Amino acid sequence: MSKESFDDHAEVCENGFSPSRRGFLKAAAAAGAAISLSNTLAYGAGESGYWAKDLPDEKLIDMFSTILRIRWHERTMADKMLTDPTYRGYNHFYAGQEAVATGVCAALRNSGPFDQIDLVYSTHRPTGHALAKGVDMKLMAAENDFRATGLNGGYAAEMHLSDPSVGFIGADGMIGPGPVIATGSAFAFRARGSDQVVVNFGGDGTYATPHFHSALNNAALLKLPFIYVVENNLYHQYAHYSFSVPMKDIATAAEPYGIPSVVVDGQDVMQVYSAAKVAVDRARAGEGATLIEAKTYRYYNHWGAPGAKPGELGAFGYDPLAISSFRPEREVRAWMQRDPVDICRNTLINWEVIDQAKADEIEATVKQEVLDAFAWAAEQPLCNPEDGLKNVFVDGVVEARQFG
Amino acid sequence: MTAPVASNPGKPVINLETEFGRKRVVNTGIDEMWMVAATLGAGLAGSKAATYIPYQGAAMPFQIIQNHAGKLRSMTGGKASMPVVFIMEMTGQTPGFAGQHSDYEIDSYYAHIPGVKTVIPSTPYDAKGMMVSALRDPNPVVFLYPAGLRELVEEVPDEQYEVPLDKAVVRMEGSDITIVGSGGGMPEVLKAAEALTAEGMSVEIIDLRSLKPMDTETLVKSVGKTKRLLAVDQSYYTLGPAAEVIARVAENVDGAKYKRIAFPDAPPPASPEMFLWMRPNAGHIAGAARKLVG
Repeated sequence: MSKESFDDHAEVCENGFSPSRRGFLKAAAAAGAAISLSNTLAYGAGESGYWAKDLPDEKLIDMFSTILRIRWHERTMADKMLTDPTYRGYNHFYAGQEAVATGVCAALRNSGPFDQIDLVYSTHRPTGHALAKGVDMKLMAAENDFRATGLNGGYAAEMHLSDPSVGFIGADGMIGPGPVIATGSAFAFRARGSDQVVVNFGGDGTYATPHFHSALNNAALLKLPFIYVVENNLYHQYAHYSFSVPMKDIATAAEPYGIPSVVVDGQDVMQVYSAAKVAVDRARAGEGATLIEAKTYRYYNHWGAPGAKPGELGAFGYDPLAISSFRPEREVRAWMQRDPVDICRNTLINWEVIDQAKADEIEATVKQEVLDAFAWAAEQPLCNPEDGLKNVFVDGVVEARQFG
Repeated sequence: MTAPVASNPGKPVINLETEFGRKRVVNTGIDEMWMVAATLGAGLAGSKAATYIPYQGAAMPFQIIQNHAGKLRSMTGGKASMPVVFIMEMTGQTPGFAGQHSDYEIDSYYAHIPGVKTVIPSTPYDAKGMMVSALRDPNPVVFLYPAGLRELVEEVPDEQYEVPLDKAVVRMEGSDITIVGSGGGMPEVLKAAEALTAEGMSVEIIDLRSLKPMDTETLVKSVGKTKRLLAVDQSYYTLGPAAEVIARVAENVDGAKYKRIAFPDAPPPASPEMFLWMRPNAGHIAGAARKLVG
């Protein structure tokens, strides 16, 4: 089964989960058997399945750059929240989870006509997914700061960021409905005979919702091109996931639906990419859904930057918003030892794709891009109050009712 | 049963789970449907039960309340036992959080359901007294809790006391105009009343407190005297509580003038500039009152 302990799942990914098992999956599906990607089978298949290693240098550098863009976007925004009293933006910070969004989106089709690109459904923690899918950082920064020229005209802010032009259907402030809606997009692709796929990102908190199970059930019944990426960062809002999940690995939940699942190290972008590529290939080939559980961690608290210090990565100590549980500082620091930025950087240096100097140069370029994006956003105009009556329907405005 | 919600920073919190133990009180996953359905099920099994639904998901369990809690007494010929309380947190007060987190609309939805009492206190005194009444009530109660009021401070009795679940309250007596509001809208209504009183207007203020059943008698008595009614909602304009207030008064009072203030029929945008312009405030209320009286 694919539900090894966290410590040895790295090997599972590196050694297994390759498309050559499609034949087996098909046969098993035909036989009506419940399928899960088996560790034993993976070794038996004798293939590396470590697809990331075959990627062109340019693509690998692009992935490293994306991780850095997310990291510095989050750090810069957290610092603004902490130091600039006039700044009104907020975020559910994604720092620590960068490799998940980056690895998954690197396996997707992100540019081209809308009826050909892959779609991503995101969460209340969307900025990493947005950047990885190709959303413009300047426009996003302006949106998060409620600017009229922001990505969504100031209507959305962080929790409703949306850019269909790159297939980023968008953020969602609710826990539950996202994956079910995403299966509807997958159903449309199937109906249209398109090879597009849908990725739904959801946290460990989504497991407890009825929507999680509805999405998997219908994706399995209809063999939809649907990939559920569970980002298990161990906490839903302020509670450890053991409050709402009765097993260690959420990937286990895909088994009864006959949906292949895999647990990956969400801190290693190469492992995430390799798993995502296999899932995307399956979905494009009409072979149905996959669930990927990425074990990961967020460096900041659930919302905003409480417990963080300007210029320093991460938030520590008691979250003043938490009621029932909070994250031990040692846990946060332990996870920060396996940092997705460092892992990606070291991998590329080990593979001789880049050297230290090049890595530093990429990081410097990214930091400047982020600073420029926030500076641009800060100069954008605020919204016109009356525009609040627009965008209710495609045409026209609704009536003002607040004046009597 | 409660979801792992946030508390108020710096404010004391009684953690019911540690207070009463996990056998009786549980912090659940973010599954509002289970929280409400299980509360109802506990009631049907003969237990008093309550749940707290954070504002983000307060309409998720709608179907359970509308189609089950609201109808089971009738559909079972009175046999169903449902001594349950659904505490529904509402927002609508905080700019910047967009359609799902700055909305104020569930008062209209839940008040429409027969068989469920829907109440909305606006003061700490009423919140405690109506909670006691709701927990003692044999009927399902939707207890709307406008989160924007959580910072209100008022001395309340230590002992338990009941505030009725079917009576509006006159917050200020006057003879020129009746202004009716509820829940999260009340602070702005009272602020407007203060300004109007300073200008010499004699204002009567009614806090609905209960949306279902709605206290028609208090409304009719007041407008029968003032002959002018300004009904104020934080909810959307169409089919909000203010529409019901005006309809009930119009059916019973001759020769009165009416006006209604509400949030436009639009989801609240994130931008504070747009949101604060759209949300009914004391200035809007006072302005409409002046027009109605003047």
